[in-house]
Amino acid sequence: MIFPARPAQAPPKLPEWDPAWSRIVEAKTPDGPHSFHVLDTLAVLRAEGFEPSGTILALHGNPTWSYLWRHLAQATMDAARSGGRVWRLIAPDQLDMGFSERLAHESLPTPHGAEVRRMSQRIDDFDAVVTSLLAEVAGSSALDDAVASADHPIVTIGHDWGGVLSLGWAARNTDLVSASISLNTAVHQPEDAPIPAPLRATLAGPMLPTATVVTDGFLRVTMSLGDLTPEIKDAFRSPYENASQRHGIGGFVADIPVDENHPSYSELQRVGADIAAYEHPALLVWGPKDPVFLERYLRDLRQRLPQADVHRFELGSHLVSEDYDVSGVVTDWLKTQFPVGDAGADAASGTTAAENATAADPARGVTAILDARHDDESIASVDFAQNPAQQITWRHLWHVTTSIAGGLLELGVRPGDRVSMLVPPGNNLTAALYACLKIGAVAVVADAGLGPKGMTRATTSADPQWIIGELPGLGLARAFNWPGRRISVSPLGPVQAKLFKVETSLTALSRTTHHAQLPTPAATDDAAILFTSGSTGPAKGVRYTHGDISALAAVLTRVFDVHEGTGLVAGFPPFALLGPAIGATSVTPDMSVTKPKTLTASAISDAIIAGHSTMVFASPAAYKNVAATASELDEEQKAACARVELVLSAGAPVPLDLMDSIAEVFPNASIHSPYGMTEGLLLTDIDRAGVTAAAATSNLGVCVGRPIDGVELALAVIDDSGSSADTLEQGVEAQGRLGEFVVSAAHIKSGYDNLWATTAASARDDLDGRTWHRTNDIGHIDAEGRVWLEGRLQHVVTTPRGPVGPGGLEALIDSDEQVSRSSIVGIGPTGTQSLVAVLDAEGTDLSPGLAPLDLTSRLRELVAEVLGHDLTAVLVAPTFPTDIRHNSKIDRSRLAAWADHVLSGGSVRTKV
Amino acid sequence: MKITVTGASGLLGSSVARALVAGGHQVTTLQRRPSSVAGVRDVIGSVTDPSSVGEALTGAEAIVHLAAKVSMMGDPSEFEAVNIGGTRTLVDAAVAAGVQRLVHISSPSVAHTGDSIIGEGAGPASPELAHGEYARTKAAGELIALDADSEDFKVLVLRPHLMWGPGDTQLTERVIDRARAGRMPVLGSGAPLVDALFVDNAVEAIVAAVDAVASTHGESLVVTNGQPRPIGELMSRIAIAGGAGVPKLRVPVGPALAAGSVVEKVWDLGEHDDEPPLTRFLAEQLSTAHWFDQRRTQEVLGWTPRVSIEEGLKLLAAHYANEETLSASSRVPRP
Repeated sequence: MIFPARPAQAPPKLPEWDPAWSRIVEAKTPDGPHSFHVLDTLAVLRAEGFEPSGTILALHGNPTWSYLWRHLAQATMDAARSGGRVWRLIAPDQLDMGFSERLAHESLPTPHGAEVRRMSQRIDDFDAVVTSLLAEVAGSSALDDAVASADHPIVTIGHDWGGVLSLGWAARNTDLVSASISLNTAVHQPEDAPIPAPLRATLAGPMLPTATVVTDGFLRVTMSLGDLTPEIKDAFRSPYENASQRHGIGGFVADIPVDENHPSYSELQRVGADIAAYEHPALLVWGPKDPVFLERYLRDLRQRLPQADVHRFELGSHLVSEDYDVSGVVTDWLKTQFPVGDAGADAASGTTAAENATAADPARGVTAILDARHDDESIASVDFAQNPAQQITWRHLWHVTTSIAGGLLELGVRPGDRVSMLVPPGNNLTAALYACLKIGAVAVVADAGLGPKGMTRATTSADPQWIIGELPGLGLARAFNWPGRRISVSPLGPVQAKLFKVETSLTALSRTTHHAQLPTPAATDDAAILFTSGSTGPAKGVRYTHGDISALAAVLTRVFDVHEGTGLVAGFPPFALLGPAIGATSVTPDMSVTKPKTLTASAISDAIIAGHSTMVFASPAAYKNVAATASELDEEQKAACARVELVLSAGAPVPLDLMDSIAEVFPNASIHSPYGMTEGLLLTDIDRAGVTAAAATSNLGVCVGRPIDGVELALAVIDDSGSSADTLEQGVEAQGRLGEFVVSAAHIKSGYDNLWATTAASARDDLDGRTWHRTNDIGHIDAEGRVWLEGRLQHVVTTPRGPVGPGGLEALIDSDEQVSRSSIVGIGPTGTQSLVAVLDAEGTDLSPGLAPLDLTSRLRELVAEVLGHDLTAVLVAPTFPTDIRHNSKIDRSRLAAWADHVLSGGSVRTKV
Repeated sequence: MKITVTGASGLLGSSVARALVAGGHQVTTLQRRPSSVAGVRDVIGSVTDPSSVGEALTGAEAIVHLAAKVSMMGDPSEFEAVNIGGTRTLVDAAVAAGVQRLVHISSPSVAHTGDSIIGEGAGPASPELAHGEYARTKAAGELIALDADSEDFKVLVLRPHLMWGPGDTQLTERVIDRARAGRMPVLGSGAPLVDALFVDNAVEAIVAAVDAVASTHGESLVVTNGQPRPIGELMSRIAIAGGAGVPKLRVPVGPALAAGSVVEKVWDLGEHDDEPPLTRFLAEQLSTAHWFDQRRTQEVLGWTPRVSIEEGLKLLAAHYANEETLSASSRVPRP
């Protein structure tokens, strides 16, 4: 097959593409001049009166072309127009790719053939094109004496093989380049790992030209790795309409160095080494569902670029920038890296919560009290999850944790290594956790309520080097191929150990002789990654430093009087782990953590007796069952419950009737229900009297009380489009308005794990120089400073009469005797949405479809009277989706999609 | 102001004329029958007739153009003559006579292609895409009016959507009559959201437009109550207010669309005074969502609907209760 040469061309008219971005550039590559089609925004910028003060050099992979960067072109244009730094985007189509020159070829490409443009040539091509184009703008030229400066930063970005090529070029031009970004790519193929299956199929000798050149198979498969409309797919395919235009696609695949005999193998080794020496700022944006560029390539890249910020779009695939706002992440990141003027300079560095923590609570290490009590023979922890119940002394706990810490070090665990904990709360988890804390290993905790898929996604994103687990957890890790070397809790037999790839056990490690010196983690070092419930998208890992955990322990002491010697029953996982940090005796009651309803009155009483406890921590679901089983208690158990001074209920608000039931079981306790979230576990608090007082008001929503000592609360007012304001309100200005709650405290998160953009967005406020956290929870603050929750930010309904928080209305509607539960959703475009109530058919005599006229009238009148809003429709849904973990949080997004479908003529029987 | 109202024999036209008189304007009306509105100068004639148009526009400063052939069926040439030709005649005469303002009453169907409309703005009129002769010719008429817009002749187009209320024969009366006869269909779930406009609000919006056109012109505005409702619920409530029971005739959507087309064609062949029971256009209207973004309309007109749907239903119920009482006491059957 003969492939004729053809010079570069301009693309035809394409969607989302400005023809003024296109230019044809002649560049002198080492093998002579070639013509390139280049996306270059310079002409458009200058036409609008902008002169670039920064340049982005972008390189596509195979089989895309510069069309891949059209969103980035648009985003940088928009940024320039809104007064930001003027970034010029230069994105060449590689030779034989896109609309660049087609080289003449005598035959189809093969891995060792002569007809393939090799990696080293492609880096030279890129160099030739960008060097000539950079020279067009003063300040960005490689020929200038003034090399890359803060005045005109030059940043590279690449995707697929364009990622490794652009990183390689950047690493060899560090005097010119200021920073680098890559989307899914691969630098290094580990010898012991197989080539990804889809690629293996394509690479299999004789198939290669057929799959890539003769047919458009490779092209079509790649275009399916993203949610692209047919028009956009066609645009990507437009330069590759027939086989004579597709030689480059095959050539690219043929140039993948699969083994050390491959012509490009040594060049890739060199590029990999150069990248490892690269020290400029870097950003890696990743779609983990990519079937080719797998997690191991991200891991490898992070080892080469330890300075890199990472943002994972958990559900993103290979064409991550087609499905997600990668351009937004890139421009935001560039803004923090290269602020215009001095104003933004400190926004880039940012103060972390850990710094706040150390300022507010002068350091007491998380393990300091445990260390201090190494000779104490009193009880540290009682574990009713074990049969018989196991109690251990402070002295024992100190010895065990110290031994395990030393054993982990000997095994190869390094400070900063991540350890996934698949151990239920109890003495074993306490021992494993504090051993890790002692040496600065980072505990990764994902709730079993996420389900196997959710846990796998969470654990994979945290990428632990180690897993400590009991058998069910290790089985999960094996079945879903989790990363990390395995450690069991109890010793396993040789067959099981081999099956689960377990190297040792906590029991074995606990026999290690003590090391003279363990490494001491700093307050700013990571201590734990705790995963959110994932009720609003994939679960997010929340980063807590040692300073954050110390601060959280300090809150329990300061606000709830948990101190050294206090006995507490820990039926709520996050707090169950803090006992040793505070010096409190913690008792794990006999219950299944993932099923709080399994906690009985009898079990909690036995735990109280065993730990001489005066405090009880659990979730509302657990208390509900405790109250329901209270009649089983004997006199001794009743007396024990009567000794309890503090009952703390966390995880969800406690309705007044439940508070009253709890009070009957614990007659002498004050009952508190703090509000918080994985990112800030204790933010506000309300007690029984507070709930009673709140119930007597006509406020909408659920009252969660006032901020606790040490927590600053502010409100970002929600506008007509449902967005929360950039500015924060406090005091009187914040009262009586619908807004997003924003909090600041020493014990809030330090960030999200591998979610650079999410972290930046959640911590974007700098009021009073503090670090804040946008909670995504919405509601209002009343005139007495009480916080009322009304739902989540993404569920705000934007009617023409203004934004509405769904939570308050739902409570109102649920009070109708014909309704069991409801969800308020918005239908239609932002700012002019219709307010719709969806009712659950289950447990009622309602049938799916439109609600009966009289019920509709009643609810409509109620909403008009209380809120002055028009309730457009009342629908009855056949099923009500809720999240697994709490079985209570209603999935409003799914109900909204169903209601939207039905109210535009779709069938009522459509699956919710 | 001297204002000419065309089509003042219908409910909306006569109500607008009455309201303008009450507002202290000098009102001339043009229609084929006497308007029966007190205090107006009645010109009897048609918008298709240049001489009666000339007479009606004598001295006029503003026009409210309501005259139209409104029907779901009929001879295309009749629609064209009134809705296109009549508008052309009126606009030409108005420009020649130096009239300064035109409030042109159109219909949302001029931009409705059969797909769902969910919270959208007015959208451009499209004779090519509009369904049915009425919509097609109203679209062309609207474009003629907008084409004539200038600083000297300011044109604002209002598109009232699904007007209903006491005295309305187009929708309200039909729904009630058919419900009484057990012939009012509810298509599918009856859940698609539609906007409607209570007649009093329509009148007030048009009156507001006579002022508003002075500052904002050259655009089209859909006018509704801003309270979308499931179509089945709205029809049921109108039927109940009219003393009929809840419509029980449930028809699946697909067959209804097909049946509508067939009925339309069959109806076209013969001579019928009444509308066919179900046209394809109506079937689409009843089975797809069509509700609108009212923010621009309310901003331009400086108007908000005074009568809510709930209040309107009470007024409608009172109207029919009153009518029943009257007809019972006088023993005169309703026409």
